[in-house]
Amino acid sequence: MLTGAIIAGIVFGLYYTLVGLGLNLVFGVMRIVNLAHGDFLMLGGIAAWWLFSSFGLHPLVSAALVIVVFVLVGLPIYYLVVPRLLRSRDSEMLSLILFFGLSQMIEAVTTIGLGATERSLPPRLLGVGPMVLLGTRLPKAWIFSAVASAVAVLLVYLYLYRTRLGTLTRAVMVSRDEALATGIDVNFVSAVAFGISIALAGVAGVFAPFILGSITPNMGVAINITAFAVIVVGTLGNPLGTLLGGIIYGVSLMLMQTYLSSWANLLPNLLLIAVLLIRPEGIFGRKVRRA
Amino acid sequence: MPDVAATIRADARNRLIKRVVLDTSIAAAVVIGMGVMRGVYSNELMLFNFVVFLALAQGLNIIYGFTGYLPFGYVGFYGAGAYGFSLVVMHLHAPALVGMAAAAAAALVLAVILLPLLRLSGAYFAIASMAAAQAVYEIIANPGLEDITKGPYGVSLSDVFAPAFSYYTALAILGATLLLVVWLRNSRFGMSLQAIRDDSVSAAMSGVSVVRGRTIAWLLSALVAGLVGGVFAWHISVFYPDTAFDLSVSIFSTVFLLFGGATTLCGPLLGVFILYGIYNVIGIAVPQYFQFTYGALIVLLVLFLPNGLVSLLTNRGIRVP
Amino acid sequence: MSPEPLLNVEGLVKRFGGFRALDGVSFHLNPGEVLGLVGPNGSGKTTCINVICGLYTPDGGSISYDGRSIGGEKSHRLVKAGINRTFQSPRPFLSLTVRENVEVAAHYGDPKPGFDVDALLALLELDRFAQRPAAELNSAQQKTLDLARAMATEPRLLLVDELAAGLNPAELSRMADRLRVLADGGMALLVVEHLMGFIDKVTDRVVVMAAGKEFFGGTLADATKDPEVIRVFLGGGHHG
Repeated sequence: MLTGAIIAGIVFGLYYTLVGLGLNLVFGVMRIVNLAHGDFLMLGGIAAWWLFSSFGLHPLVSAALVIVVFVLVGLPIYYLVVPRLLRSRDSEMLSLILFFGLSQMIEAVTTIGLGATERSLPPRLLGVGPMVLLGTRLPKAWIFSAVASAVAVLLVYLYLYRTRLGTLTRAVMVSRDEALATGIDVNFVSAVAFGISIALAGVAGVFAPFILGSITPNMGVAINITAFAVIVVGTLGNPLGTLLGGIIYGVSLMLMQTYLSSWANLLPNLLLIAVLLIRPEGIFGRKVRRA
Repeated sequence: MPDVAATIRADARNRLIKRVVLDTSIAAAVVIGMGVMRGVYSNELMLFNFVVFLALAQGLNIIYGFTGYLPFGYVGFYGAGAYGFSLVVMHLHAPALVGMAAAAAAALVLAVILLPLLRLSGAYFAIASMAAAQAVYEIIANPGLEDITKGPYGVSLSDVFAPAFSYYTALAILGATLLLVVWLRNSRFGMSLQAIRDDSVSAAMSGVSVVRGRTIAWLLSALVAGLVGGVFAWHISVFYPDTAFDLSVSIFSTVFLLFGGATTLCGPLLGVFILYGIYNVIGIAVPQYFQFTYGALIVLLVLFLPNGLVSLLTNRGIRVP
Repeated sequence: MSPEPLLNVEGLVKRFGGFRALDGVSFHLNPGEVLGLVGPNGSGKTTCINVICGLYTPDGGSISYDGRSIGGEKSHRLVKAGINRTFQSPRPFLSLTVRENVEVAAHYGDPKPGFDVDALLALLELDRFAQRPAAELNSAQQKTLDLARAMATEPRLLLVDELAAGLNPAELSRMADRLRVLADGGMALLVVEHLMGFIDKVTDRVVVMAAGKEFFGGTLADATKDPEVIRVFLGGGHHG
């Protein structure tokens, strides 16, 4: 039972890496917290549900569409609010409030348009029956979602380390001021990072019905706490550290569900608080406490 | 020279007295106004909700306006208060006022447990406090604790149901909260909190105990929310954990506070009267319209008026009570 | 030398990770004396001030003030005990008025009863701005306000961190005079400064630091003749 929980945890962990990755990318590049991240994820799930129920599109096709559309949605949002936000005195704190507002707007519009009901996709879309992985039987839909997540994470890695724009993005992450001084178009680099981040949330949303069970308009807040827990457990501002955070989170979640299932919902909350308080500098490499 | 100094000191004292009198009159007018309204206007629940948000916005003002910490999980104290009240009344059949004491105690205990969160800086504090409120909710609403908290099925407190008494108790809490804010705005302690907010190192080098100041503000803020949560439980008498820990309570209070302008007495009052007024006038049939409007308001405020309505005056050097 | 110095620093050590910012620095300071702390950038001068005023906890050595050990004590307690400092970049309370900035310190910093905030503001020529928000002051005025905040707690030991940076010659000369007046009134001052002219005008004695420890103590005139001091300063790429 223990190995089973750990293997399932790793599979889930790959998915949770995808959930947190975009949030961390935006934080790393812009030092702002996109508290509407979970709501973009929800929108990705709604899109996948709609594309399937209206046109019978396979989630993989939906994922490709979602990436394109969400990047295109992310760019104008970036240019509308972020540059102005970054000029303010305490942009980190204000970003939190602003995107919290955006999150409320998205949740409200979705509820008005579609009602508050749960929506799901048939798991058979991603393969029928279980698959045995190291002696543990897992639904094929889980494995499929985990593999898709791993591919998305890999693509982000390739973007950051194998492309010119990615190199510039990493330069901005190290020091925004110095990047500006060297003549890097920081605004453009940030806009692209923001677009990618929104697209990552959208893709995570496409697979959410298979991993989380269903999509509801008000799921954003809970997802945000989860995503934040994942990136805090990994390293804030370091997108690749998110993988570590995702796996730790996934495994602890599965252990909780195996041994203490009725209290599993407590996990992201407690994990987040515990890590923030106990090992802020150690895991972060970034100071989050006040002097 | 001494005459000049004495004149300056006398001037300063007169100014202070004028301010305190003005601030206190505003506080009194609000409390009396809300008391009179109950006799005039029949929708008591709506008036009660006004009192609740007037107090909550000011309670949040104590911690955010004066120390700069914005707890997204402020509702956690409200919920703790509601359940502190309910548990004592349900299990011990205690009278309502004992329940109110339990509400205060529950919020204060939670605030003490969460004291370490104050070590976190702005954004992390906000999110950690939200996670904390969610955690408390998950515990209270857990079906495993049905025998104690009634889990997700909600509590019923018909034994102590007393709409008038609970309404006036809420008014008293509001009055006390407003006086607290008046005190913070006109006392050296309140000044020291703002000093800590502006620069904690300089504050320490002024002899201010930063930890002590923040702790007191945090406990006071939690106490207000706990008392309001308790009186909410008393007045409503039937509710679910989803209601007591509804994140909208945090959202509404935050929006009202930011809209009006933190650190002032009038800002949060204006925020509640204007925004919650509109909310009630237009109707609550489709709450999502308001969720959308409030969300949009938050975005616009952060971008264009980060210090709230009152900053239209304060930016011109006019003091707003 | 008086038998009992007000401040006695012995073998003070402060590490940041593997880096020893202070590596066993020792010096003492008497009441009414102005001691200059000079040295190249990164030699540990500001760290020294931060440790003495309680912002950092020392990792080794001892600090005794007024005959008792104070290493690791909280800043606000040290302020009440009579230690204060100014900042290289002043950090006033921007949303409070100038008078309120000083009032906070005068209330919490335990000066003698009846301390006159307005007289202090007048003395430092800040009275004109008393009711203005501190955010409206220029940087020289903010430095003066920072000094006013420190003085409002009536310190017996004042740690002055790069007061001269950003001041014009006239303001500089006025600041130097103010510090001398404070010392003549019995206050002990520890002055960290790059500007040798300022050090020359203000201090009685200097301690030269490099790499976290002192290696010269004496008058500035002797220091400038010391071959080791010259080597460190030229080697450190710094010319006062």
